[in-house]
Amino acid sequence: MFPFATIAQWILGIVLVLSSFGVILLEKPIHASLSFLLTLLMLAALYLQLSAQFIAVMQVLVYAGAILVIFMFVIVLFQDAYQQLSKFQPRSYKPFLIFAAIAFTGSLIFLGYQLRAHPPAQRALPTGYGTVESLGEALYLDFFFPFEAVIFVFLIALIGAVYIGRKAK
Amino acid sequence: MDILFFIYISMAMFAVGVIGVLVKRNALIFFLSIELMLNAANLLFVAFARQWGNETGLVWVFFVLVVAAAEAAVGLALIINLFRSKQIVDVDQYNVLKG
Repeated sequence: MFPFATIAQWILGIVLVLSSFGVILLEKPIHASLSFLLTLLMLAALYLQLSAQFIAVMQVLVYAGAILVIFMFVIVLFQDAYQQLSKFQPRSYKPFLIFAAIAFTGSLIFLGYQLRAHPPAQRALPTGYGTVESLGEALYLDFFFPFEAVIFVFLIALIGAVYIGRKAK
Repeated sequence: MDILFFIYISMAMFAVGVIGVLVKRNALIFFLSIELMLNAANLLFVAFARQWGNETGLVWVFFVLVVAAAEAAVGLALIINLFRSKQIVDVDQYNVLKG
């Protein structure tokens, strides 16, 4: 019987969950986004633990390198909006929201408890699992059409972003 | 390692993202919470791909990354445009489409 998780995985997982709590609990958006950066780095480390090297590198490059940098730019742009943020109170009833969150979490825990009864078997990894070569092979041979379709998704998102973000005349 | 460990972590992350969307009123934090949920799904994809020794899950993670990048571009453009018209980042104040 293999252990539930190694010590490194426990540390990574706990820091991951704590930093994701930091995203929603920290007051200033810049702190929340820095906490999100920590979440992304812990996730990349967990991907490495799951022997998915290429995905871990892509995680750091795309998320921490591209998405979060755009995000920080927007935060800097909004800098003076935060002083007025505190005077707006949420219109929805907070107890209801918290109750919904607790119900959702409870159903997830119930689902996890149900999963506990049927642990799936672990299989041996094929050689070269998770490397750029094998993933590229899967992308270009088995998933060629979705891969090409993604180009159109990007193109349309780019056009949409430029169209939405332009100054109104 | 046990896959249940990763399932639990992914569940916790997803629940935190849902709580963020439900409770927070700042448009930027809203956006970060959605990214948290996407990442929780990604972690589950990677964990199950590792479990079954099948790379299809990793390919789907790649596609989720692409969609997240596109979503960041469009979503942030929307937020900037909304901010330009109202000078507010509180999602309760955006009611132009309410009629």
